[in-house]
Amino acid sequence: MSESLSKNKGLTAKGAAKKLFSDYSYLVSFILILVIAVSANSNFFSWRNISTLFRQSATTTGMIALGMTMVICAGLIDISVGAQVALLSGFGIQVLNATGNIWIMLLFCLAGGALIGLLNGTLVAYGRMPAMIATLAVQTSCRAIVNHFGQGGPFSVAGGMSAEPFYQKFRQVANGAFDVFGFRVPYPMVIFIIMGLLFGLIMQRTRLGKHIYAVGSNANSARLAGVNVNRIKVTVFTITGVLCGFTSWLYSSSLMAVAAASAGNLFEMDAIAAVAIGGTAMSGGRGKIIGSFLGVLMFKIISNTLVAAKAPTFLTGAISGAIIIIAVLLQNIQRKK
Amino acid sequence: MLTRMEQIVVDFGPVRAVDHVDLTARSGEIVGLLGENGAGKSSLMNVLAGTFAPTEGRILLDEKPVHIGNALQAMHHGIRFIHQELNLCNDLRVFENMYLAQEILMPGGLLNKKEMAARTAEVFRRMHIDIDPWAVVGDLQIAEKQLVEIVRALLFKCDLIIMDEPTSALSTREVNNLFSIMRQLKNEGVGFIYISHKMPEIFEICDSYYVLRDGMLVGQGNIADTDEKAITEMMIGRSLANDDFKTKPSFTTQVVAMKAESVSGENFSDISFALHKGEILVFTGLQSSGRDQLADALFGVIAHTGKVEMSGKPLHGGIRSRMLKGLAMVPRNRKERGIHNDLSILDNTSMGFFNTRMKSLLISRKLEKKRYERQKTALAIKADNPKNLITSLSGGNQQKIILGRWLETGADVLIFDNPTQGIDVGTKFEIYHLLIRLAEQGKALLIFSSEFPEIIKVADRCIVMYKGRINTEILRADMTEEDLMYYSTGSNLEMEEAGETEETKKEGLKA
Repeated sequence: MSESLSKNKGLTAKGAAKKLFSDYSYLVSFILILVIAVSANSNFFSWRNISTLFRQSATTTGMIALGMTMVICAGLIDISVGAQVALLSGFGIQVLNATGNIWIMLLFCLAGGALIGLLNGTLVAYGRMPAMIATLAVQTSCRAIVNHFGQGGPFSVAGGMSAEPFYQKFRQVANGAFDVFGFRVPYPMVIFIIMGLLFGLIMQRTRLGKHIYAVGSNANSARLAGVNVNRIKVTVFTITGVLCGFTSWLYSSSLMAVAAASAGNLFEMDAIAAVAIGGTAMSGGRGKIIGSFLGVLMFKIISNTLVAAKAPTFLTGAISGAIIIIAVLLQNIQRKK
Repeated sequence: MLTRMEQIVVDFGPVRAVDHVDLTARSGEIVGLLGENGAGKSSLMNVLAGTFAPTEGRILLDEKPVHIGNALQAMHHGIRFIHQELNLCNDLRVFENMYLAQEILMPGGLLNKKEMAARTAEVFRRMHIDIDPWAVVGDLQIAEKQLVEIVRALLFKCDLIIMDEPTSALSTREVNNLFSIMRQLKNEGVGFIYISHKMPEIFEICDSYYVLRDGMLVGQGNIADTDEKAITEMMIGRSLANDDFKTKPSFTTQVVAMKAESVSGENFSDISFALHKGEILVFTGLQSSGRDQLADALFGVIAHTGKVEMSGKPLHGGIRSRMLKGLAMVPRNRKERGIHNDLSILDNTSMGFFNTRMKSLLISRKLEKKRYERQKTALAIKADNPKNLITSLSGGNQQKIILGRWLETGADVLIFDNPTQGIDVGTKFEIYHLLIRLAEQGKALLIFSSEFPEIIKVADRCIVMYKGRINTEILRADMTEEDLMYYSTGSNLEMEEAGETEETKKEGLKA
């Protein structure tokens, strides 16, 4: 007792630094990357650059990483998210072309994502399949189906130059913006920030959040405390599916035409990497939404900086990989202490 | 080989598990190491086997100080530790387990399975054990697994074998077989350290003894110079704290809080009892008696047949629905089944509450803190910052957090499954007082325990299980540790089988 008390009193600069490293490692990485980015690009802090970062995050893996944080905190993994986006974007555009209503398309994407997530969750929870295998199977299936219906060509929003009135309207989803005191705030940026706050609240302040951590930390103990472990597993996959659906809507709006074979390619890896660099334990039980949120931004900053610095295009992946390794190694070293 | 441990100290955080203990073991000698659960026996032996380093003290082999950093180094020094819990790989074959990490290879690096299986079979033959070396370990009975574990130690040349309660899952015949193997090895010059708290075994097989209590060495000598009573007194310690409980009043009322009628399930059958408000009813029995499964079944963790009622309303379904009816269970094995390593003290405390009593959408930090502070005061939990991880606490305080979790659900009937497992003696006594206080408040308590001294202290009534059935019921006034052991081991039934009827007359057995 006295020992631990004195530990608290002795929260000196050194202790604070150590705590910063172990509990807020994602902040340290974020600031480091920010410093590098600023030195490489003097225009980094321009509003245009910042808002683009957020918009690009939201239309790709931003929200998916939030769901992935839940999945990983529950001790699971979902590698079907990229294929889900491909499937839902492709079919979503078909729905849009057929109905001419962007909201019906959104509804279709959300419901479709929920269904795929529900399938993932059911296979894992009630089918007792390892999450990696179940979501791998769903991944290949989704990709195959969308490839089949795409027949190699892209799914394009009908209309092009002028004819269809919903064409411009749908374009605005990802490219439009609010005007706040003269600043152009892209819709996706607003959505991403609101979702970040919402998921942070869910994880920290609701029963669902606490149960997710509990299941990931020790499923046995959680069950004996009355937590319905299977339901939690299904829930996290379903939520991630819904986020994939939402992302598909924004993603297809930002591109206006998606290719079945390449849409959402490697989204799962980007999302998992963002979660990892954000300090979430891959073994489950520990992690923060804010870490993943910043993790997503970090990856966008890295790739943008590499482009700005004219790094060889095909090598950018290797550089991102090196950064993940360094960031996660740092976390592990701190955790051991 | 002369093995000497000098002034060994083992600290686990703030808890001192072993306190300046000396121990000597010679070739051809069987040393009995005795003590209650948590007395420090296993910790001391883990030091010798290199599982963890002592905080202080040293180990000498043939008078030369040695450093034993891990299990492999211990084996090189000729020391083998047969653990109480089985350390076998269930998916591998028997001989593969035997030679794990010390495989016999053919030239070229491939495994020489035939040779390993043949040698395993040879040792089995010598020991009169009938197990197929090619069997998959997962398919074996518990007792067979235990034998595999033991024989694994005998496969390689060794000078000292440490056995941690090797007979807990063995039948009398298997125990006798084990003892004859031990005697044979003893004559070949192998030394043993034998951990057990089964007195008759100690007196049958051991040459000398060491008794530990609360981590300290409280007695040693030759078995020939002592008797069971003297050793029991050393183990239990006649302290004032024990006497506190002698005058424990009964708070039992006539109101039935929980009733079970012919409940059966995996490993237990036909269990009936009535638990009253204010009563402390203890279920005891050996590891294999079905005690664990009964506790789980009552709480809805595993399935059961038969009827369970609480205050006249039937209990069925899973855990949460039983919690909502006012049932709580503090589970056994805190590490695996109780705590969440990655969560804070606060979250660990609230886990049960979130599930059953939280009405609002968002968790109120203020109320959460208030609930925690209430339990902290009530249970005298020693913790400074509730946001710290629960693993920053000592075992006793972790257990108190788990108790607090369940008290906070406001349950009327509380199941405590091995509530004082792996915690220090001071906290144990605090928990005993807490249990009695809860009974006084009118709660109904159902305790599952294998620690006889604990049962004697708190129980109003004790039901002894044997092989999945109720063997007998003992009231507080008639309770002795000897009787509890006698009925737990089913000695009365074995006599009955042998034709003696005296015991059946005495107890009017239900089985």
